[in-house]
Amino acid sequence: MTSDYKRFALTRAGQAVVVVLLAYVLTFLVISVLPGDAITNTLRDPQHGLSEEDIQRIVAFYGLDQPVIVQLLLSLGRFLTGELGFSLQSNLPVSRIVGDALPSTLTLATSALVIAVVFAVVIAYGAQYLPGKWAAIVRSIPSFFLSVPNFVIGLVLIEFFAFRLHSFTTTDPNSPVATLFAAITLAIPVSAPLAEVLIASLDHESRQEYALVARSRGLTEATLFAKHLVKPSALPSVAMVALIVGELLGGSVITETIFGRDGIGTVVQKAVTGEDQPVLQAVVSLSAVVFVAVNLVADLASPLLDPRVKLREKVAA
Amino acid sequence: MTATLGYPQLRNVGTASKRLTAGLPPITVILSFAVVLLVILWSLVPWLFTSYSPVTGDTASKLAAPSAQHWFGTDYLGRDQFARVVYGTASSVTSALVAVLIGLVIGSLIGLASGFRGGWLDSVLGRFVDVLLAIPGFLLAVVIVSSLGFQTINAAIATGVSAVAVFARLMRAEVMRVRSATYVEASYLEGGNRLHALLGHILPNAYRSVLVLAVLQFGTSILIIASLAFLGYGDPPPASDWGLLVASGKTYVTAPWLVYAPALVIVGTVLSVNRISRWLRKAK
Amino acid sequence: MSTFSTPEFRRRAFLAGLGALSTSALVTACGGTTASTGAGSTTPVDGGNITFLIQGYDTGWVSSKTSISSYEGNLWGQITDKLVYVNEKGELSPWVAESWEELNGAKDFVIHLKSGVTFSDGTPVDAAAVVANLNAWAKGDSTRGVSKVGLFPSSNFVSAEATDATTVKVSFSSPALGFIATLAYHGCILLSPKTLALPVEAQADLSQEIGSGPFVVKSWKQGDSYVLEKRKDYNWGPAALGHTGPARLDTITYKVIKDTSVRTSTVVSGQADVAFNVEPQEIESLKAQGFTVGTPRYLGFVDGFQVNTQAFPTNDIAVRQAIQHGIDRDEILKTVYTSDWNAATTFIQGNVPEAGEFSDSFKFDADKANKILDDAGWTKGADDYRSKDGKTLEFTLTPNPYVPSTKAEDELIAQQLKKVGIKVNLKVVDVAGYAAVQASKPPLFQTSRSFVDVGTVAGVLTSQNKGEDWFGLGTSDQKLNDLSTAIATASDRASREKVADELQQYVLEQGYFIPLNQLVQRLYLISPKIKDVQYNGLAYANFYTAWISQ
Repeated sequence: MTSDYKRFALTRAGQAVVVVLLAYVLTFLVISVLPGDAITNTLRDPQHGLSEEDIQRIVAFYGLDQPVIVQLLLSLGRFLTGELGFSLQSNLPVSRIVGDALPSTLTLATSALVIAVVFAVVIAYGAQYLPGKWAAIVRSIPSFFLSVPNFVIGLVLIEFFAFRLHSFTTTDPNSPVATLFAAITLAIPVSAPLAEVLIASLDHESRQEYALVARSRGLTEATLFAKHLVKPSALPSVAMVALIVGELLGGSVITETIFGRDGIGTVVQKAVTGEDQPVLQAVVSLSAVVFVAVNLVADLASPLLDPRVKLREKVAA
Repeated sequence: MTATLGYPQLRNVGTASKRLTAGLPPITVILSFAVVLLVILWSLVPWLFTSYSPVTGDTASKLAAPSAQHWFGTDYLGRDQFARVVYGTASSVTSALVAVLIGLVIGSLIGLASGFRGGWLDSVLGRFVDVLLAIPGFLLAVVIVSSLGFQTINAAIATGVSAVAVFARLMRAEVMRVRSATYVEASYLEGGNRLHALLGHILPNAYRSVLVLAVLQFGTSILIIASLAFLGYGDPPPASDWGLLVASGKTYVTAPWLVYAPALVIVGTVLSVNRISRWLRKAK
Repeated sequence: MSTFSTPEFRRRAFLAGLGALSTSALVTACGGTTASTGAGSTTPVDGGNITFLIQGYDTGWVSSKTSISSYEGNLWGQITDKLVYVNEKGELSPWVAESWEELNGAKDFVIHLKSGVTFSDGTPVDAAAVVANLNAWAKGDSTRGVSKVGLFPSSNFVSAEATDATTVKVSFSSPALGFIATLAYHGCILLSPKTLALPVEAQADLSQEIGSGPFVVKSWKQGDSYVLEKRKDYNWGPAALGHTGPARLDTITYKVIKDTSVRTSTVVSGQADVAFNVEPQEIESLKAQGFTVGTPRYLGFVDGFQVNTQAFPTNDIAVRQAIQHGIDRDEILKTVYTSDWNAATTFIQGNVPEAGEFSDSFKFDADKANKILDDAGWTKGADDYRSKDGKTLEFTLTPNPYVPSTKAEDELIAQQLKKVGIKVNLKVVDVAGYAAVQASKPPLFQTSRSFVDVGTVAGVLTSQNKGEDWFGLGTSDQKLNDLSTAIATASDRASREKVADELQQYVLEQGYFIPLNQLVQRLYLISPKIKDVQYNGLAYANFYTAWISQ
């Protein structure tokens, strides 16, 4: 590793940390504008069975009777040590709530990512190698994917595959087939930008000199295509993966609600309706951490994959 | 007989029909413009398109299937669904416009300042933009709406805030690109001040890509706001945001038109917007 | 160029690939079973599992609360017993209490318990246990944050004592005509003294709730699924159900599905057996497809609003009366509900014996409503809404998430009241948010409460004896105080009926309660192969006697 690269890596890592901290603060300030008195509404709700002692303990813990800036510092300090606080609704530790919900969302997100890549590759192949009219139709598929709201996709898939064809049942949202359809719902809007980037870079590459040379040497289109996928033309997609992580996390709120899955998206829904600030704060901050981490890995990896990328530009961006 | 196969001759071969349509965009783009125009008219002057009220209905004719009197059928309180969709356009579409404007104006200002000034301002603003990008757009919108209150205008603000980052990045990249061009240096040397250079050179060159992005974001914003309304994070009933129409319609399984009508309108609108965006990008 | 790279071949290859993908998708897709339609047997068979779909169990499992949620009540009813059983017609019959005597003009009661009844942990349901329960119901324990049961004759409750292992003596300071009936109330569940002694936070844990019912909690995942399995040694079912031994089903699985249409469609497609609270508009088509839709009506209050007399704008009696006459209940019944719903004649359900005919007090009359408001100084503005002293006549309504179709109902009410010049805003929340709405004491709050005996309504009308004070009056309305006390302590049924009449007339005229229609709070969509589901007087479906026919 060159010293240039080391400097670049450290700078980027440092920037990543700053971004995470700022994201935390921004989220906290936005959430603390929440109207309604958290104390009266949520804590004192007799249904939650909290005793007066409990309530006082929670108030002291969060500094709910203190000015916002004090609450923020308390909260931030805890976040840096990994302590995420307690849910106002259920009094369970937020880390436990998030931990319980995480596997479902991870399964969904990973499957969706895989399916999205598959869709994107198939679309890109079709766009490149199908004859004229078909290629034009396939090329417009990403745009169509981006036009359908994911709640419509989900509702249609459930109506058709769960209730008509009995492929899966809504009572078991974590079954493989149910997960598959939820993943397809999530994958569709995600596959579109991936496909477009692949198509664009393939268009670009296929006009290059070396492609013509390769074709004249008798390589079939399929082999050429496969070789291209591994090449630098795939590089823009590496940077896109970070963006896609954001899309997956955001889209999971609706997809999980529609398919009845018990993941992070459902946790967010409950936290919003229950005005459960610690949970909201934790989920949003953790999403930022994930996004920044993935972005960081992508940034650090891209110069290694393609030396053409200038390091200095990456730092300034 | 050898016809001269020079370039001018070749160019005109088979272009008889093309000459008629030369200069006109493809038919799908024209259709898309028509759809978007229709939708904008729905949001501005809904009363021109329907005589029914979106709020009060004739309860005796509830849950009627689409017919000549009720193009999209009626809902559970006998309200004309077409009227509900048309009147709901104002909040669904206008709010998307508001979102794009917020993103465009604030994002461009940030991008301009960032790219033009450089240095520490660029770093600071760059981090701020990174933060906005780091929080997934939809999650950020959910949090903002839950803080400000469940109203469609707040959903619009929330969507706009998450769009700021995208515009900022684009504007900054454009500024950087133009800044390094020699003619800008030349005009600066000629004695024009920086602001002049900015207005004279950067904006005219940048506006094309910004326009493409704005149109694209318009479509995305419609989807995000509809999704927020679907979850209930928009105006409460009897408002008829498209997303809210789908959400309240799906309870009535025997009346699928309550879901499909607004859903198709959403898809049609966003599809048209995306088509226009793609055309703009190619026409550059 | 080889044949494998011609455009034609590539197109065919692409389509073939796509076709292969879709075919394999369809093959995996076509799975599942359809409900068999063979003629079922009529003799009950043991065994099997019922999957019961419900919105959610979000209000928690703390057993000592003023009222039990309509959702959680389903599960409570399967794992606990009561002393007395009340059927759909309101008739009482023995259950854990084998027999009882009413002495001293209904001031003293002697309850004889069935012997051999045990809690699921083996401890006996003896007189001592029953006394502990009675004290919890009547008084609660404020030191531990445990509340008493809201609709219980607590105001004149004196003591309960165990005279021997199977006999309990209960004393009241004045006649408590409704006492035995209230022992059948769904809030009066018999819990092990161990559970009762727990602090409130520990009671939130479902595994700590020890009852004596035909089912026990086998496992659960909060917010997702709850599995009950039958108790093989259960032997004391209510005789009125025609079966006293162990339950026939092996297990009941409750699954949480928040979305109403998904619940309905899942049962219709045969993938579950029971769905709770389907949309009333769907009932006709569901029945036409051969499904049973139970719409039990309970004894209790009608679907309607309790009005806060301290909040703006309902602190003005003219406004209350205008709302009373400005709502077209007929239109609501025709539009939002079906013929399974009846019009309200008063603020208590029609199957309560003391319910009278007081529709005139709230008959729809928009002109009358307009006149009342005009006379009271509420003038119409340019936007058709009235105002007085610079304040617009408006309030916010929150549809009750415990009752089906209240969203449509409230939207319609908003439209109707607009014609009278009242502005109604809607705010939609779910079960968790509804508790917060109740705590904020809005001008109109939609209730859904059951009771077994009309005497217990005294517990909610005022704040006397830690009452729930539904109308925010405290003890300021002397006439209401007197009527409440009279109805709780009436010495005989005839005089109590007269008091009930007066009470209904007064409450309705004052606009304290605005009735809408007779409440059907719980709707059960049941698959045709589930037989012998029974409904009690509290409108809960009981699966104790249910069985699955093949």
